[in-house]
Amino acid sequence: MLNIIKKEEEGKLLFELEGRLDTITAPDLEKDLMSSLEGISGLLLDFEKLEYISSAGLRVLLSAHKATAGKTEMKIVHVNDIIMEIFETTGFSDILDIE
Amino acid sequence: MKKTRKRYSGMESNIIGAIVMLMVVFAVVVSVLGVLSFNSAFKKEISTSTYHMADTATMLVNGDELDDYLAGEKKEEYQQAKSYLDVYCKKIHVSITYVIMVDTSDYGHFVSVFNCVDNSVDNTSYTEWEPGYRRETTNDEYRRKYKAIYENGSDCETVFRFNTTDGQHPHITTMVPVRDSEGNVAGILCMQRPISELSNARRPFLITTAVSALVIAAIASVFIAMFIKRQVVSPIISVSKEATRFAAENTKGESLGKISSYEELQNLAGSIETMETDMVRYMDNLSAVAAEKERIGTELSLAKNIQENSIPHKFPAFPDRDEFDIYASMDPAKEVGGDFYNYYFIDDDHLALVIGDVSGKGIPASLSMMATNIIMGNRAMMGGTPAEIMHYVNNRICAKNTVGMFVTLWLGILEISTGKLTYTSAGHDDPAVYRRDGTFELQKTKHGLVAGGMADMVYKDIEMQLNEGDKIFLYTDGVPEATDKDNNMYTAARMLEALNIHREETPQQILKGIRSSVDEFVGEAPQFDDITMLCIEYKKNHTGGTNA
Repeated sequence: MLNIIKKEEEGKLLFELEGRLDTITAPDLEKDLMSSLEGISGLLLDFEKLEYISSAGLRVLLSAHKATAGKTEMKIVHVNDIIMEIFETTGFSDILDIE
Repeated sequence: MKKTRKRYSGMESNIIGAIVMLMVVFAVVVSVLGVLSFNSAFKKEISTSTYHMADTATMLVNGDELDDYLAGEKKEEYQQAKSYLDVYCKKIHVSITYVIMVDTSDYGHFVSVFNCVDNSVDNTSYTEWEPGYRRETTNDEYRRKYKAIYENGSDCETVFRFNTTDGQHPHITTMVPVRDSEGNVAGILCMQRPISELSNARRPFLITTAVSALVIAAIASVFIAMFIKRQVVSPIISVSKEATRFAAENTKGESLGKISSYEELQNLAGSIETMETDMVRYMDNLSAVAAEKERIGTELSLAKNIQENSIPHKFPAFPDRDEFDIYASMDPAKEVGGDFYNYYFIDDDHLALVIGDVSGKGIPASLSMMATNIIMGNRAMMGGTPAEIMHYVNNRICAKNTVGMFVTLWLGILEISTGKLTYTSAGHDDPAVYRRDGTFELQKTKHGLVAGGMADMVYKDIEMQLNEGDKIFLYTDGVPEATDKDNNMYTAARMLEALNIHREETPQQILKGIRSSVDEFVGEAPQFDDITMLCIEYKKNHTGGTNA
């Protein structure tokens, strides 16, 4: 289960994710996320309530990272320990802007 | 049409039987009603005509002189009247005509005045009563009729005797009053007329009626039965036959065509045909789907075979090398998977160890896994440190990666003569390392980005020294992330626990131990991710002995 709460403020897009970002839920986020990147000035992903991220979820983040690279600032906030460990293991912490 | 069913009665014979029975009942009812109305018409006719005869006969009797006749006076007039009556009676064909004077106190008996008998009419043997012959009233019915004439001014009373018990023939007795000149009832003229004509006429009438009714009923039955058979029974039987045939053969039959002029039956036939067409199409589709599934299944099993053979899977892996012991396993969640391991000698002293996990599962992941394995193998043979090799592999994957696939890779090169292990991790889980006489611990280091993520990433070489009896356990995330039916994960902590239970065993036994520990944890839940493990034990100085 993944709840996606989408907010837009002054051209900045905020996604609040709640639940698990895995094989089943990742396509939903990908569709939602990739279709709303056009013309935004910033992308903020709030992981405060995200419990788990699988490789399918990482793939969505990577796609978003590539799509925004050099154009829009993409930032991930409120990452919990479990997900931070996954980011570190997979090396994503090197390329993503995590607060 | 021949009956096709044995255990059940055919609807055709039942329906026709019902129609015939109905028609027979109809014929019987018609006959009975006919006879009843015949009877009533006959009775009405004969009583009216007899009344007129009797009424005419009273003209021949002088009502004023009845007492005188009985007293024996006016004998000539009496004889005159008697002879007129005799002649009249003969003419009109009645058995007995008689004039009586009834005792009006209780109508219990009467006295005969005139009595004319003609036995030839009905083959009877009556004898004429003498004038003054006194007789009991025959029964209550006569008594009531006499009273009606004397007291109620009735002009005619009739008694029918169909079923006589006293040996008499069936007859009608009509009674009319004989009045005196003042209009008072002086006596009663009774006329007894045979009605055997009725019985005689009734039988042929009954037979004619019954036979006609039965014939009409039979003809009607035949026509109704033919009609029902043609319009209802035959169509239903042909639909039933077609349905039975279809159930047995499952093939499209000939069109039933127009089987009935009834909309409901024609619709039924149409629906059967539509159903057959649809069913046949579904069955064809189903066989096509089944065949396709079979084909895919065959291909997948071949693919599985190819994938399994793309990595080393014979153990012991290097029977002539006693410096180390290695064991590995790969169990995809589906037929094919994205996990892989590999090991090979780069040269006589350098053994490459690889484990990887392509994002996703199934066929797409397996294709990427094959490509990655080959790229990695080719590049590793060309020499260089693990970080250099990884750099190249990452760029190669990125160059052709259009679908956003990536792969976690761990590559180590073990210098067998010295025990020096150099490795690098592209986003892969930390290896568990066992130091002789110690325990398995995760070797936490900084990781590079998963391969295929972004091009031109820099990877770092990490060095560690392996000593006699040390072991390294490599795995994919299918192990710590194995999930039970309540969505609980196995976790790296449980993995370490299990590793340490088996820490002093051989690599093969360790893998077996971890696998059964995972299986026990997961229970009934299906395997969700590929599970791949590799374990190597370094035994540099084999003759010196190890703990294993």
